[in-house]
Amino acid sequence: MLDSKDLRVIVVGSGRTGLQTARLLDDRGHNVIIIERNPDRVQELVDERVATIIEGDATNSEILRQAGPEQADVIATMTDTMGTNFTVCTLATEINPDIRTVMRSVYETTEDYAKFVDDIVFPERAGARATVNAVESGIQALKDTSAQVDLLEIRIAPGAPIAGQTLADVNLPKGCVVISDIEQTRIATADTELRPGQTYVIAVEPGGVDEIRQLFRG
Amino acid sequence: MGQGSRGPSAELGLLDATMIGMGAMIGAGIFVLTGLAADIAGPAAIVVFALNGVVTAFTGLSYAELAASIPKSGGGYAFVREIFNDFSSFIMGWMLWFAYMIAGGLYALGFAPNFLELLHVYGIVPSPDEVGAIVLPVVDTAVPLAFALAFVAVIGLVALNAVSTAASGSAETIFTIIKVSILVVFVGFGLSSPMLSEAEFQPLFPEGTGAAAILPAMGLTFIAFEGYDLITTVTEEVENPRENIPKAIFVSLAATVVVYLAVVAVAIGTLGADGLADAGEAGIAAAATSFMPTGLPVIRNGGALIVFGAVFSTLTALNAVVIASSRVAFSMGREGQLLPSFGQLHHRYGTPFVAILASAVVMLGSVTLPTQSAGNMASLFFLLSFIIVNVAVIRLRRERPNMNRPYEMPLYPAPPLIGIVLNLILAGVLVEYLIRTDLLALMLSAAWILLGGIAYLGLNRLRAEPARIPTDGDTEITPEVED
Amino acid sequence: MTSDLDIIVAGGGRVGFQTAELLANRGHDATIIESDERIVSEIADEWVATVIQGDATDPDIIEQAGVDRADAIAALTGETGLNLAVCLAALELQPEIRTVARIDRASAESYTRFVDAILFPERAGARVAANEIVGSDVQTLVDMTGDLEIMLVRVAEGAPAAGKRLADVRLPAGALIVSDDDGNRIARSDTTLTAGSRYVVAIEPDVADEVMNLMRG
Repeated sequence: MLDSKDLRVIVVGSGRTGLQTARLLDDRGHNVIIIERNPDRVQELVDERVATIIEGDATNSEILRQAGPEQADVIATMTDTMGTNFTVCTLATEINPDIRTVMRSVYETTEDYAKFVDDIVFPERAGARATVNAVESGIQALKDTSAQVDLLEIRIAPGAPIAGQTLADVNLPKGCVVISDIEQTRIATADTELRPGQTYVIAVEPGGVDEIRQLFRG
Repeated sequence: MGQGSRGPSAELGLLDATMIGMGAMIGAGIFVLTGLAADIAGPAAIVVFALNGVVTAFTGLSYAELAASIPKSGGGYAFVREIFNDFSSFIMGWMLWFAYMIAGGLYALGFAPNFLELLHVYGIVPSPDEVGAIVLPVVDTAVPLAFALAFVAVIGLVALNAVSTAASGSAETIFTIIKVSILVVFVGFGLSSPMLSEAEFQPLFPEGTGAAAILPAMGLTFIAFEGYDLITTVTEEVENPRENIPKAIFVSLAATVVVYLAVVAVAIGTLGADGLADAGEAGIAAAATSFMPTGLPVIRNGGALIVFGAVFSTLTALNAVVIASSRVAFSMGREGQLLPSFGQLHHRYGTPFVAILASAVVMLGSVTLPTQSAGNMASLFFLLSFIIVNVAVIRLRRERPNMNRPYEMPLYPAPPLIGIVLNLILAGVLVEYLIRTDLLALMLSAAWILLGGIAYLGLNRLRAEPARIPTDGDTEITPEVED
Repeated sequence: MTSDLDIIVAGGGRVGFQTAELLANRGHDATIIESDERIVSEIADEWVATVIQGDATDPDIIEQAGVDRADAIAALTGETGLNLAVCLAALELQPEIRTVARIDRASAESYTRFVDAILFPERAGARVAANEIVGSDVQTLVDMTGDLEIMLVRVAEGAPAAGKRLADVRLPAGALIVSDDDGNRIARSDTTLTAGSRYVVAIEPDVADEVMNLMRG
């Protein structure tokens, strides 16, 4: 479906995250149009040559129209102001009801907006996961999801409470599920043995991670 | 399937947090200690509770400031651990742990006679006094039975907490409301009882010892106000903690003092200090059976309601300290200040299993103590650990002036300094009192501290040994480019 | 060493705060250093970390954050040079400490000579954003060491499983729906597979066809 063709994407806001996103999309061969309000940044962008640039305020429909939302497949609002991002998404949907809207959030919880836009991304979470991975060993967050559920790869420490048990013997807190078996070839079952030194992939809701760490890492 | 099934922890509001504190403070203390305090201080027991409320308020301020700025749910131990070196924080945890375990023994000892009284009200067990109005301590027949009951209570609650994660805070709120309502009924009937007489307060101070008797009684009953440490062990689950935790500490403290004063005034005013003292751990229950109406439907004797309150309170308080003591031991284990197994969750039950079992051993041991000794020791150790908490506030202010303090106590440094001085005085008086009357308790206390010193040295040696097998092989540090 | 780490996070902005929150969720102790009073007050409301207000390059402030006991320092302000300075100052005070510095451009990668790890959070964020923008209906999430695949799969309109509760869908053995719609909770048996929503799914290769058939139609 969408994967197969080159997309036309409007990126609103070209701060670090917006620009980096535009670069990635450009690398993948999609067509990117950036709307940027700050003239200084526009000057820097021109040198980058990743995208067509429209200088101006995207909440102004005159400016937005210049980016061609009628032909665009997706609009991604990447400024760090929620209000701006939301307004631009709504405006774009009015011009082109079929456009996919992706909105950047600056908070963790965004249920209020989820009804009105197609997808919400919270880039800081990915950045924070990367930081925590750099700090902690034995648990690595598997990346590239905007989901709140953490996918963790955990190595069981020798002497951890659950080391050597089978899944049937342990009672994990709610909101967490062991996904992989040893060697990560099969889905975990009740007979899955939790061997010290082995790594397992586990999905955990944010509130349960410390307990998981205590059980798996000791 | 590896799907989890245990429930998550609840979100607690200001009411819940306040109720956790009040539940601990109004819990067993009032039922168990009133009679004992009257024994020492006579009608001045009422002054004892009032002054203890004042003394403890200074430490309450310190707890509020620390809890608002240090986002950890470990209670006093976690705060001290934040700023003190290894040994000081170890001693703090070691003492607090002991205080909670002995408090467990105390509450179990308070539970047993009240439970027997409840059975007796309904004629299930005999009492020397046929009318059943006032229970004298049933020395010969019931004491072994009381011990057995105290043991069973501890073992039962330990088992419960060892295999299932703690009951949520909202249950605690309901418990506390039940307890307070029962006490309000008690005060209401007491105030309208013809037995209530001001004469019981004359003279206020016992003959002979006079006003000096207040101090040891304060020492004994200090434990009644330790509840705010419990509030700070659940802070992570409280909404908007920076505002709610200080509020919960102050509100619960103020409400508790009011309840205590009303209850003690009624108990002394009806039964008299001597009668109260004779009833010992069942003092309030005895006072209640003396004036509550009888011949009611279902419960028959109105006093039974109060006795039920006593049984219920001691049991829930016991449950709270079983959890609190194991939490202290668990945190110490996680910080490497006790054996690592103390800091591990059980793979099946998800509870700090080893920490609970270890706490249970000391608790069961303390059940064999006389109630008064248990009260004295628990109070002594709470006093000592609260001194350290006050010192921690001062040290943090000096060494970390830039630390964000969402709640700053007024008139710093007066409150923690006054708190230290008052707590020191009480601890000194208590030790002096123990030298005169209860050498066993004093020696046991000294032995625990000594044992702590040995444990500390032993643990350090254990850690110093090159036994650190390269654990995982996953600790290698490689420069990496992350994104 | 204790089992829970003590970590100093310099900079309480969005990345810094989010990091401290993740660390706290995992049971570690985070201390945030932040100089902006307004941000300090906002962070304090969230109650995830002790906050020291001040300049993170000031040795006195780093000491107040407990550098002598810390296992790692993550300098996460928006300025690369400042982050490097923070890490170096911390190393001066505590040579054992693990240092992580945030950079603001890919060219700063040579800083790995001075710090243990560098990171460029905007790249991770942008990758997530780019994936959302492209909006693939089937997306591999994780490169597993084994054959197991963890994917994000969008339930297609009219697919056999669309609109059904998880308890009513006969998934083959070797397949597991992990998350709720759009990945915010772990799936329960009453989770409904809504057409248009995406679910994290773990699949063994031999049943992949069957699962795709159920979810994609």
